[in-house]
Amino acid sequence: MSESSSRAGRPARPSAPGTPSKYVDFFLYASAAVTYVTLSIYNKWLLDWIVGPLWLVAWVWGLPALVKLARRQPIRPQRPPVGDPE
Amino acid sequence: MSWAAHQFEVYAVQAHLPKKMMGQVSWFAIFFGDFTPDFLAKFWVYGFNFNGHHYGATKPYQWHRGWPGLGISHTLFFGALCCLGIWAWKHNRAWTIGFLLGFAAHVLTDVNDSIGTMLLFPFSTLNWSLHTWAYAATVKGGKYLDAAAYYSSLGFVMDLFWFFVVLGSWRVLSREFWRTKVVPADPHVWSWLGRLFDERGLLALYRGVFFYGVCRMIAWTTWAHVVARPVINGVQHHGYPWDLSWTGPWWVQHVTLPQVTAWVVLPSALILLGGVYFAANALWERMDSGSIKAIAWRNVRRNTR
Repeated sequence: MSESSSRAGRPARPSAPGTPSKYVDFFLYASAAVTYVTLSIYNKWLLDWIVGPLWLVAWVWGLPALVKLARRQPIRPQRPPVGDPE
Repeated sequence: MSWAAHQFEVYAVQAHLPKKMMGQVSWFAIFFGDFTPDFLAKFWVYGFNFNGHHYGATKPYQWHRGWPGLGISHTLFFGALCCLGIWAWKHNRAWTIGFLLGFAAHVLTDVNDSIGTMLLFPFSTLNWSLHTWAYAATVKGGKYLDAAAYYSSLGFVMDLFWFFVVLGSWRVLSREFWRTKVVPADPHVWSWLGRLFDERGLLALYRGVFFYGVCRMIAWTTWAHVVARPVINGVQHHGYPWDLSWTGPWWVQHVTLPQVTAWVVLPSALILLGGVYFAANALWERMDSGSIKAIAWRNVRRNTR
């Protein structure tokens, strides 16, 4: 039991399913930056206001989406069934 | 001109909105406001080559910031016209005020280079410049020389300044801030994008402009000082020389337009910045009632058809 949950006197709440791990996020952002900077030093056309932000989206969202695709999991956000508040 | 500073400004403006506007001004509007001046003018500044012929402005500085030219795209007057258009079209204060703040940030930052902007257009076509670094877009040098000059001068310091302003208010990049302050101001746009991306993707999209700013600053600086082998005055250098003196770097050709004296530029720019802030504050409440009236009229028109 974590310190905060024992202080509150109840068990720790498990993290919501699908919540991205901070470490995975950090790795994705850092690797996006390293690859983009390295490639763009020698390929200046990459230093473009459309390519730059899309590079980040492709890396941070696209790579996990590819992994999901390989595992045959849905990529697009799932809508809750009608009438289900969660 | 400024480079990554314009990307960082978007988040700096977003983070330092007046309290009553926090969570209600569109981040996309701030971005498009900050982006519009260069979107309109910069393509022709560098031009392009086709079949061995260069198509572009013969005097890039005149086209970019002067009159005649597209210097009007870098004036507060043009920003105000755009805002009037947005307001007349959508009656949406989140977009109107966001665009105004983003546009003003761009125009006022650009007074730092040696060409500056026509701050008082259409009353005066004189340029206002602080000469902090040299304007370096030339027909021959193109984008590469421009980048090398900027990232060898106080322009680099300017980018760093804005970078640290954003880092100083780092919460603007957090998931919590995006959820509570950015999405509620633009629910339709984010909701539409939410059909395509999950939250991780949406957040990356929001942070993408900052990411681009950081990466282009690092990439251009590295290229200019580590990779490039320029020949300056007949001497080959290992990277472009740094020159952090006023109006540097020394190795670019200095160009100029008719200007007001530099001493009045900083106080005038600060007064104008205060004026934009005051105007945005004053219009904010009035625009709320204006948008309610517009919606009411639209409903009346629909019901009477």
